[in-house]
Amino acid sequence: METLTARGRAVRLAATLLGLALLLLGTVRGGDDDFPFGPFRMYSTSDPPDAPAPDTRIEGVDRTGAVVSLGQDATGIRRAEIEGQQARYAADPSLLRTVAEAYADRHPAAPALVEVRIVVRWHDIQGGRPTGGWTDRTAVRWEATG
Amino acid sequence: MTGWLTEAVPRGRVAAFRTLVYLFVAADLVVFTPWVRTRVDVPGDLYRPLFVGRLLPLPTPDPAVVGVVFWVLLVAALLAATGRAPRLLGWTVFALYFEWMVVAMSYGKVDHDRFGFLVALAVLPTAGRARHGDPTRTEAGGWALRVTQIAVICTYFLAAWAKFRFGGFDWATGSVLARAIIRRGTDLADLIAQVPHLLIVAQFGILAFELLSPLVFVVPARWRTAVVGFFYSFHLATFATITISFAPHLVAMTAFLPLEKVRPVLLARRLLGRRAGPADTAAVTPRSASSVAPAASGAVAGASAVTAAPDPSTGPRSRG
Repeated sequence: METLTARGRAVRLAATLLGLALLLLGTVRGGDDDFPFGPFRMYSTSDPPDAPAPDTRIEGVDRTGAVVSLGQDATGIRRAEIEGQQARYAADPSLLRTVAEAYADRHPAAPALVEVRIVVRWHDIQGGRPTGGWTDRTAVRWEATG
Repeated sequence: MTGWLTEAVPRGRVAAFRTLVYLFVAADLVVFTPWVRTRVDVPGDLYRPLFVGRLLPLPTPDPAVVGVVFWVLLVAALLAATGRAPRLLGWTVFALYFEWMVVAMSYGKVDHDRFGFLVALAVLPTAGRARHGDPTRTEAGGWALRVTQIAVICTYFLAAWAKFRFGGFDWATGSVLARAIIRRGTDLADLIAQVPHLLIVAQFGILAFELLSPLVFVVPARWRTAVVGFFYSFHLATFATITISFAPHLVAMTAFLPLEKVRPVLLARRLLGRRAGPADTAAVTPRSASSVAPAASGAVAGASAVTAAPDPSTGPRSRG
């Protein structure tokens, strides 16, 4: 058997305790910014059983008037990334221009976008179950000028 | 306490875990999270480095940085999967994969599915050399597997804690699963959502399972595999309903399993040898008798012609 020296054992014990302490600190006080020691907060928020649920999407309108879906395949930007920075877009809608640029880079031949918007579809929920009804609301809108 | 923390395991288990983890790094780069490469197309304005990214002098991702990290990491991970130079290659893979993750998580969304996997990458270089199939027990390897196990269970247990912290104690009676299904539910999930109260019951079940997960360390050894099997079944259900795979976490969780018993390359060799048939074996045996170890059976010798390539299951021969 390959055994550890007393020192090897002590170093490993210390590393284990340090890692656990950082992880506990991140869980109790930290946020996503503290990756990888942040809290495991996937699906940790709670909403009343009758509150409508948001389903966010990002879409654009091109020069021809057609509505274009601007999902991850179209722009390289993940939906959760749009949602994670939604407050920034709301404070400064012109940031959505970067989404139009990312689309243009990937689709050089496509008609240019004249509008980009973040649309939230609010699904009705009753008693913890979706009812099938929904309402669309535009959360942020940016229009190209000139 | 330290006895439990460094409980010795066969080197063969460390070797198998190492191969699996490093192969997953390569697979993650090209199959699971290829979108990380497209970060360079995302305008630099949207790059919001994480705390660790601001702490360390990491460059803003541009095509050169991402390209170099991608290719060096891919090659290093594949080499590390052979078990060669476990320290040099192991630390290289850890550092580059960590940078890859900082790039991936710095655009507004942090994933929570890879803490255990990052711990595995951080500790595998300390486990030392390990050959596939070697029954010699090692405490250094035992510690590496143990802390990976602890990280995996922390991911569950502390996720329950986060639910109390962010969602409150009424998390279980809320509508979190209904919302998840609306956002990314499969047809199966839509069907399940129609059953009255089932989603609420499932929420209580998830919380109970997360809070009780540390029991895996105290249940009798013969039940442990069943408990880990239950963990995997939870992720199977999650994938079938809301297509969230938690793939890196699933790889890290194999630290609980007697991986040394799975020998895919030996098995493939044996099957190939059988297919080659006795006539072929006779033709090959004279040549292979001189080049293959004397202990090789006829079946193995028959397959020797197709196994000239490096063999990840047997790992590096000890070269002094």
